[in-house]
Amino acid sequence: MLKYIEKRLLISVITVFIILGLLFLMLHNMPGSPFNDEKITAVQRAALNAKYGLDQPLHVQFINYIKAMLKGDFGVSYVIQKNMQISELLKARIGVSVRIGLQAVGLGTLIGIVAGVLAALKRNSWIDTFATVISVVGVSFPSYVFALAMSYYIGFKMNWLPLLYTESDAFLSSIMPTISLCMFSMATVARFTRTEMVEIMGSDYMLLADSKGIGVLRLFGIHGLRNAMIPIITVLAPLTVELMTGSLVVEQIFAIPGIGSLLVTAIQFNDYNVVLAVVFVYSVLFILVMLIVDVLYCIIDPRIRLAKESR
Amino acid sequence: MKGWKKLIPILTALSLVLSGCGSADPSAKEQAPGEATADSGKVLRVGRMTELFDMNSVIATEADCLEIVSAIIEPLFITSEDGTPANALCESYEVSEDGTEYTFHIRKEANWMGGTPVTAHDFVFAWQKLVSPDVASEYSFMMEVAAVKNASPIIAGEMDPKELGVSAKDDKTLVVELDHAVPFFLNLMTFPSFCPINQAYYEEKGTDYSLGAENLLCCGPFYMSEWEVGGNTYQLKKNPEYWDADNVKVDQIDFQIIKDPQQTMLAYENGDLDYVRLSGEQISKYEGQPGFTRIEEGYLWYLSPNLNPKSPEYSCGLENENLRKALALSYDKDAICFDILKDGSIPADFAIPNRLAIGPDGKDFRETAGTYLKTDKEKAKEYWETAKKELGVNEVTIELLYDDSDSTPLIAQFLQSEMEGTLPGLHIELKAQPKKSRTQLMQDREYQLGLTRWGPDYADPMTYLDMWTTGSVYNYGEWSNADYDALIEAANGELATDPATRWEKLKEAEKLVMDHAVILPVYQKGTAAMVRENVSGLYFFPVGVGTLYKFVEVK
Repeated sequence: MLKYIEKRLLISVITVFIILGLLFLMLHNMPGSPFNDEKITAVQRAALNAKYGLDQPLHVQFINYIKAMLKGDFGVSYVIQKNMQISELLKARIGVSVRIGLQAVGLGTLIGIVAGVLAALKRNSWIDTFATVISVVGVSFPSYVFALAMSYYIGFKMNWLPLLYTESDAFLSSIMPTISLCMFSMATVARFTRTEMVEIMGSDYMLLADSKGIGVLRLFGIHGLRNAMIPIITVLAPLTVELMTGSLVVEQIFAIPGIGSLLVTAIQFNDYNVVLAVVFVYSVLFILVMLIVDVLYCIIDPRIRLAKESR
Repeated sequence: MKGWKKLIPILTALSLVLSGCGSADPSAKEQAPGEATADSGKVLRVGRMTELFDMNSVIATEADCLEIVSAIIEPLFITSEDGTPANALCESYEVSEDGTEYTFHIRKEANWMGGTPVTAHDFVFAWQKLVSPDVASEYSFMMEVAAVKNASPIIAGEMDPKELGVSAKDDKTLVVELDHAVPFFLNLMTFPSFCPINQAYYEEKGTDYSLGAENLLCCGPFYMSEWEVGGNTYQLKKNPEYWDADNVKVDQIDFQIIKDPQQTMLAYENGDLDYVRLSGEQISKYEGQPGFTRIEEGYLWYLSPNLNPKSPEYSCGLENENLRKALALSYDKDAICFDILKDGSIPADFAIPNRLAIGPDGKDFRETAGTYLKTDKEKAKEYWETAKKELGVNEVTIELLYDDSDSTPLIAQFLQSEMEGTLPGLHIELKAQPKKSRTQLMQDREYQLGLTRWGPDYADPMTYLDMWTTGSVYNYGEWSNADYDALIEAANGELATDPATRWEKLKEAEKLVMDHAVILPVYQKGTAAMVRENVSGLYFFPVGVGTLYKFVEVK
């Protein structure tokens, strides 16, 4: 398995460089420059470009960027926090996005699995109907609908929870963002769990296990759920990355200083280095999570063998 | 079962990672001084839409940053309630007869926090930084506007920044030499780009200077007590060492960044905020409620016709003055302001906005200047007939370039229907572009008719009028008129020391621009704020520093 992971990591590194290269091209072909103020004269623009090395040919800029990046230097911001190291800028923001994202995925998965299993066990009962309705609502309503509704009723009308996110009250003020973000993953997980469980429960090995007189908990918990995990993990993985890297709208509504809003601001202002760095983080997280998922597959279902190991 | 055992270390690792994330939090909490709520005293709580981008006075360009810079590091002058400059770090000044040399005496009692005196050297240092090509400040042009000697060649990299016409006669005397007299020079001195910087502190902090509250040295009414770069809050506290501390009535100002305007209003109604800016349609909703405050902005929105297109592709007959006048009179500006925008904007029958500049007579420029190009659809039809005859055509097609920001698309669509409705045979084709591209196209003169805006940089009509001189980069339409150029040159030159005559000439210049329909004015942007009734002393200005916090009081 180690060899497989090694190979995957190597491919990942190449992938990240290709992503960065493409992005570099795209960014520099976007209209405008980081210095968009219409009042800047040609002389000033030339001075600014020279200062940040933006006057050099694109390939030279790219090579310089990669060289610096390999040393851990992601450059400085041109607009958002002029001359600040990107690593500093991200450090301040990434933590909160990742934390709220993980909270949302964790909560969503937990509720989703429970709801899905219950719905599958009590098929066609009111629990099933209820779970189905909830998952349809969760999938079809965008998270900001929940965010706005909660902040209006719970935050504003009833005053139970803080309306806006604050560092000094990070737990309480992150409850509403977490719930609004977890709805989609909860609904998705519930739906998949139910479908998989229904299918598995009708399979021969479950009949056999049941006829052997295994306890209900073991039957569904180990034999059933474990086999249902594979598709759930597959949908959950990209979702996790998405939530960890921050949702723009929910961050805006609750005034969360995360990286979701940073990326959008950076694109608007042509702050190249910030865009590159955020996308880099996003890509690395995505690739890592996918790798973890592949390893998990093999652990959950021994029939899946990675690479040539099974020979 | 084997699989389960394999899962255990992974779960353990995962839980460690998760708990790691969790434990990162309380430590973060410890770092942030948790005084925000615990502090007693008078606190003003402000809602903002954008983060602080930059607190280095020579680099900052965003309106929000400029406000804070001027609250924590004071310039020589600040704008007083009536819009005229009032002494701040400058105690008194002398100006030479020809208006080209200013001598400023800096307050003896003005100190940086910690006790170091604010000196003339601090200004010399900061001003040299502002024009230095190493810094490449986007606002270096302000030094050219101020006509400080050698500013232009230094910005172009042809001269050493040390050659700038500013020097310290002694610790508290600053001497500024100008290329020519600038009648609004003192107004310019209220602009935060001209704030002082303590050289020793700047050099000690190096690249960290101005990044974070702990990297700022202040001398203004407030100091930055909390600001983590990237955070969604920041805080100012009263500076006890400020020279005029007795007149600073609040102890603390808390700023909360909320990007969603609806959430901002919930927080205001909840009682979490005292002063917030309203946006767009919120303005008509809150109008008339206690605390509603109208604010005029200096932005003028106008249509710029391209009179001198570079290639035939962009030629559409707009070089014909009657066609331009027909267009200018053909649309209902009242409807744009009161039915579409409803944000306090006012119809613009002028080229110089309201409340921008006060003349030597003590009156606003608009009070004594005329009105031009007022909507008149009948007159527009007459001009249209003449224009068609002169051009020898029956139909004209014009491409209207606009950007996708805010309500601009709505305005463009309305202009299209109004113009086509008033002038039969006229076809307006809409061309939407992102703002960056729209500006670029206009700067390259690759457009026919463009909907654009201009924000003033200083409180003098020249901030607009300078734009339409021959050869100006911002003269998008490439209009050229020798009489106009002569008027502007005179106002910038020999008349600089004769304010009354100069003022009359500026009015003439505006009249020329309007008579030739060089631009077709649409509206002057307005906005509004909600300010809690126990708050007073907040001043709003359409130019430079948008909100002055020094005199704010909370009862």
